[in-house]
Amino acid sequence: MEHVETFDYAIRKDVRNTTIVREVDERRQRELWTSLAIGAVLVVVVMFDAWQHFELIRQGYAIEALQKARAEEDEASRHLRLEAATLRAPQRIERIAATRLGMSVPKAADTIVLERVLPAEPPARSVVASR
Amino acid sequence: MTDDRPNAWRRTIRQRALIAGVALAVWSTAIEARLVYLQVVRHDDILAMADKQQRRTIEAPAKRGEIRDRHNRVLAYSVDVDSVYAVPSEIADPKQAARDLCRALDACSAGDRAELERRLDRKAAFTFVERFVSAAVSDRIRALDMQGVGLMKESRRFYPNRELAGHVLGYVGTDNVGLGGLEAAYNKMILGAPGKVLVQTDARGRAFNRVERLPTTGATLELTIDEQLQYIVERELAAGVQHHKAAGGTAVMMDPSTGEILAMASYPTFNPNVFREADADERRNRAVQDLYEPGSTFKIVTASAAMEEGVIKPTDMVNTDPGFITIGARRIDDTHRYGVVTFADAIVKSSNVGAIKVGWDVGANRLDTYVRRFGFGRPVSSDFPGESPGIVWDPAKLDRSALASVSMGYQVGVTPLQMVTATAAVANGGIRVKPRIVRAVVRDGVRTPTEIAEEHRVISARTAAELTTIMEEVVTIGTAKGFAQVEGFSVAGKTGTAQKLVNRVYSHSEYNVSFTGFVPSRKPAFALVVVVDTPRNGFYYGASVAGPIFKTIADAALRHLGVPPTVFPAPPVVVDRRAQAAPLPGVPMVVTVDDAGGRAMPDLVGLSAREALRRMARLGVSLRMQGTGTVVAQYPEAGQTVAVGGSCTIMLDRGTGRGRGSTGNAP
Repeated sequence: MEHVETFDYAIRKDVRNTTIVREVDERRQRELWTSLAIGAVLVVVVMFDAWQHFELIRQGYAIEALQKARAEEDEASRHLRLEAATLRAPQRIERIAATRLGMSVPKAADTIVLERVLPAEPPARSVVASR
Repeated sequence: MTDDRPNAWRRTIRQRALIAGVALAVWSTAIEARLVYLQVVRHDDILAMADKQQRRTIEAPAKRGEIRDRHNRVLAYSVDVDSVYAVPSEIADPKQAARDLCRALDACSAGDRAELERRLDRKAAFTFVERFVSAAVSDRIRALDMQGVGLMKESRRFYPNRELAGHVLGYVGTDNVGLGGLEAAYNKMILGAPGKVLVQTDARGRAFNRVERLPTTGATLELTIDEQLQYIVERELAAGVQHHKAAGGTAVMMDPSTGEILAMASYPTFNPNVFREADADERRNRAVQDLYEPGSTFKIVTASAAMEEGVIKPTDMVNTDPGFITIGARRIDDTHRYGVVTFADAIVKSSNVGAIKVGWDVGANRLDTYVRRFGFGRPVSSDFPGESPGIVWDPAKLDRSALASVSMGYQVGVTPLQMVTATAAVANGGIRVKPRIVRAVVRDGVRTPTEIAEEHRVISARTAAELTTIMEEVVTIGTAKGFAQVEGFSVAGKTGTAQKLVNRVYSHSEYNVSFTGFVPSRKPAFALVVVVDTPRNGFYYGASVAGPIFKTIADAALRHLGVPPTVFPAPPVVVDRRAQAAPLPGVPMVVTVDDAGGRAMPDLVGLSAREALRRMARLGVSLRMQGTGTVVAQYPEAGQTVAVGGSCTIMLDRGTGRGRGSTGNAP
């Protein structure tokens, strides 16, 4: 059986290239930093956009909660106003005055009118405070 | 062969890469195709599905505007309350659900439970379990935490004063629509417009964004009604009607100079919060819906026409003998035989014969002119749904007998509101002012007063003054003597007693009795009519039934309004307002004292201002006050003489008590 062996011969030559320094390609360096800067800006933009998006949603929840609380407070205020009006009802006040406080309707002799004070008429068209 | 071996793997890789590439391409193409299908072909469907899942549109119910009295006290108000609803299709066991719900509700009978079970079993999309439940019930329902059962807010109308002015205000149905009274008449204005809220929700159903179209609150009505006067009128009317065991009654109080209705009451009454519990009779506003034959109170119109047309003067004589008059087969009686009396006396004594004779002299056409000028025969105001225009006959159809009837207040149908409007025309000097009950409308914070309704002169000021004098005598010496006189005030009024038509025949046991008048007669604070329907405790005259009700209402109302007495008025009291702000006890004051004889000055030191006022008013001495609190000094000093009609000065202070000497100095 024929067997062909191949030998590779190499001449080793000690090349001392440690002192060789690759020349800095300033153009490419600038391009690199520019790319990095652009990338960073893009990342920041994307991050900012994402932050805005999630912040919007978070604030949405907060606004919702506040609006709900406001609506509840408004309604509580209306209920309290109704209760106040109920407690101010003349028949209730008279009943308490007569039964609990022992008061009675004054007779004519018990009353002295100093002066009849008529409330001033409001202006023809006016802005009023509303609750 | 040896050349191929090292490159074989390359082929393999290439083949596999090709397969993977194709697979990837197919996969991405499939995905792209799916995306195109979803985003392009089914774009609208899926968008709609997403909207449905992520967005909720909530109807924001409109709030009805408030109704307030003339002093801005709340008479009608809306708040949101819970209603319990169910989605029957989500309820697995309707029987158990009905049982649980029934237990949580306030009043739920076995019948109610069966009905509820039937509704829950129907598998409908929505049904109300109970509307407008209390806070306690909604807490119990919430605690049940049942699948398919929920609470929703609905606006409900409340009337904090319950029955007060119920007939005027009306009531609101469950769907927030006014069904009676001002609630119905001004429904469009009060109702407002509902809003919509578009809510975006996340996957867990939590809302994070909303777009609102806010509901518009309806306009607020400011009425001419005074809550306190309304209460007084209702209280005294109810007491009077109950005392006389009458079928009902009504009273209307009006400011004669402006036409503003200060109070309008009907009895029996009802609570508009639970209006369904009242029957139609209780809900009827008798002041504008009930017609009655006014009887002798209508003689005001006959007398006005006669005096204004110069047919007769108050001092002219009228022969009322023999105490009755016959018209064909018809005989009309006076209660007494008055003989020949002045026309004024005929009215004061309420002589039917006198009124008929004068009515004949006036004639049908001229009498009709005044009847219509006073506002009878047509609706008075658009503020009252169902208001009756009244019945006034065509003068051409009035024969002698009918004219006689009209002259004494029969064969005409009037409402109490029309009657008080006519009375107010006499009270204010002859001008008919259209009554109004809505004083202003407040919309978006802007208060716009309602226009003062048209006014026109009905009778001259002279005729009005003469008629006022006659009406004063009705109270002092006439039919209302001892019944309608208000202590300290001059009252002008007229009584009326009219038989009721029962089965087309005038009854001898059922009467409409009334009293209409104004007080103080020379500068009226209000005109008031009181009508009592069918008193049944033995008294059936306007004077004895309606007169005392008028009196008690007027007495309390005048006190409430702070009207000083007009008969033997107390001397004026001068209050030094500057001194009130900064009381300076001990500082001498300058007072002019009338020393022309008089009475001994009492010791006022230590008394309250009220008590000192009372004592000096009884002495007929004017009082000047400085400061607040109890009396610490007085001038003249106790025991000195003070003239009746003269004046004295007292100095008030808080917390110093008795024991300080008088410091007043004479000028």
